[in-house]
Amino acid sequence: MLRYSDVRHRLTLWYVSVFGLVLLLFICGATLLEYWQLTRQAYHAAIQDIETAEGLLAFTPDGRLVLHEEYHNHPESILLLDRYMEVLTPKGQVLLRNDKLQGQDLGGSPFPDEGLLSYHERRVRLRDGTRLLLISHIHSIGNRPLLIRLAYSSTPIEHGVLQFLGLLLLAVPPALLFAGLAGYRMAFRVLRPLEKMALRAETITASDLDQRLPVENPDDELGHMARVLNDLLQRLQDSFDNLKRFTADASHELRTPLTSIRSVGEVGLQRLHTPEEYRDIIGSMLEEVTRLTEMVDGLLSISRADARQVTLHKTTFSALDLAREVVALLGLLAEEKGQHIQIEGEANLFVNADRMVLQRGLANIVENAIKYGPGASLISIHVRGSGGYVDISVEDRGETISEDLRQKVFERFFRIDASRSREAGGSGLGLAIAKWAIEVNGGSVSLRAGQDGGNCFVIRIPVVSQEAKASEEKPFHV
Amino acid sequence: MNILLVEDERKLAEAVAEGLHGEGYAVTLSPSGEDALSSLRSHHFDLILLDVMLPARSGLEVLGDMRRTGLKAPVLILTSRDSIEDRVLGLDAGADDYLVKPFAFPELLARVRALMRRNLPAASSSLQIADLTLELDGRTAARGGKRLELTAREFDLLEYLLLNRGSVVSREMLAREVWKQVMRYTPLDNVIDVQITRLRRKLDSDFQKKLLHTVRGVGFVLREDEP
Repeated sequence: MLRYSDVRHRLTLWYVSVFGLVLLLFICGATLLEYWQLTRQAYHAAIQDIETAEGLLAFTPDGRLVLHEEYHNHPESILLLDRYMEVLTPKGQVLLRNDKLQGQDLGGSPFPDEGLLSYHERRVRLRDGTRLLLISHIHSIGNRPLLIRLAYSSTPIEHGVLQFLGLLLLAVPPALLFAGLAGYRMAFRVLRPLEKMALRAETITASDLDQRLPVENPDDELGHMARVLNDLLQRLQDSFDNLKRFTADASHELRTPLTSIRSVGEVGLQRLHTPEEYRDIIGSMLEEVTRLTEMVDGLLSISRADARQVTLHKTTFSALDLAREVVALLGLLAEEKGQHIQIEGEANLFVNADRMVLQRGLANIVENAIKYGPGASLISIHVRGSGGYVDISVEDRGETISEDLRQKVFERFFRIDASRSREAGGSGLGLAIAKWAIEVNGGSVSLRAGQDGGNCFVIRIPVVSQEAKASEEKPFHV
Repeated sequence: MNILLVEDERKLAEAVAEGLHGEGYAVTLSPSGEDALSSLRSHHFDLILLDVMLPARSGLEVLGDMRRTGLKAPVLILTSRDSIEDRVLGLDAGADDYLVKPFAFPELLARVRALMRRNLPAASSSLQIADLTLELDGRTAARGGKRLELTAREFDLLEYLLLNRGSVVSREMLAREVWKQVMRYTPLDNVIDVQITRLRRKLDSDFQKKLLHTVRGVGFVLREDEP
């Protein structure tokens, strides 16, 4: 549980950090914009003020420059009281300096063309340290050009902006807190399906593999994960079921000969028999022992293959030769049933496999065809190339196995008709061993309906080039 | 002929010993490798039957010791693991042959006989039992002077049965020696049964005296007298 809440906390932390960073950037931007706007406003006011002042400036007859008294009655006078003003000749001679300046000079000596073409803006600092926003403009009074400088302190603006900044910053902690809570809640909601899945998964054991994880929203990532895990559970359940069925089948199949041995032995001991009869009793028991041995050997082969412990002795040989070999070996069985085995195909298709193992696989399939094909029928074997593979097909004219059972015939102990095939001497492992023998050699086997009724087993094995045939045979480990 | 049987499974050891005794061999039982080594020091044996899965020390280790102490007699190892590794290791350690458990007794008997006569000269060019004769060079068979029409396989089968006349041969032996198959499997068993039936038809159907007998649960035997 700690893990999930850890993720939740981390998500929230990330979310809050990013949110806080964005918020701070936004506050800085807003503050800078506010400062810029207030400065612009101050310059604008100063320009208007300078225009007003220009109209009120005049020379007295004795040549002094004065600012008319009524100026102070202007409605914006409060603001104007803060105004710093200086009037100079273009050469730098001070003609007028208002009281606010207290005798300090405003901006020093004029630089060339200061305020000549337009209102010139700049920032200056008085000797007492006051920071000012200064506007310079040249204006003619009585044909005399005069440089008028007018300034406002920037301190009120700075105060205002700082206040604005402070207000905004004050809003940050509650905003972050709110965002954090919302983020935490969201993370909680997003991760809740995960937690549910974990809780459910904890309760699933081998005995109740039919349980599935809850899928809240099949389209999102967690839903996808839940579906993937559910598929995994399905596969696990299938193989567990297979294993269970196999164990049950195996113990049943092994118990059958054991029961026979025991019964035959016990009944044999019930009364005295002639030596001839004893011979028969022991022989009967030995037959069952042979059956048991074959079954155990077969199971051992398959389970070794499952555990990948098979040592193969691979050689390269013609698939058609192998098929001919098997037919030569088992032809007698077909002959007994009056069946005819037809074999045709290309001789130059070579495979690299353990010949004995593959022969056993093919033999089991051909024997199956002989066993379940009707008497006096045809069994056709074809060897054909198909892409990088060689297909060996074995087609009988027996009863067609229905589609849903076609995969199952390769399962251990699977029987379509239990009593019939046991009568026919089957151990129930023939096709399972065939499948094993073909698959350890890198091939596959499938069953489909035959072209003229019946069943067609197709063994598919990778084909090797003829050059490979020339290469030396060497043992090969799987 | 003295045989040393090193096998810790008492029931199996006694059954095998009795079987071999019945065939005229003298058998000494030895339940462990140490016991076997001390027996070897005091007695002479013509053949050693050695189980690989022994208590304390593995049969292969014991075999190594036996060969180091100068044992010349052939050794047949009995292994319950049907893996190629065991066989290879066994043959490397100085075994002459191996047999996989569970084995058929006729099979063991055949191996023992084969190891015992390893150095004997090859058999003659014709084989005979009762009024049945087999000419190996011309590959012809006749019974009561009348020629039998046999297929190549039937001839091989009859030859093998005749070579082992009087002893039971198992299906494993036939699969390996007549059909030349390394592995024995169910379809092959069925083939062997059918082949035997056909051979019996040609061999015995016209004659009062039957030669080819089935020993139920074990195998087949060619012999004159009824069992």
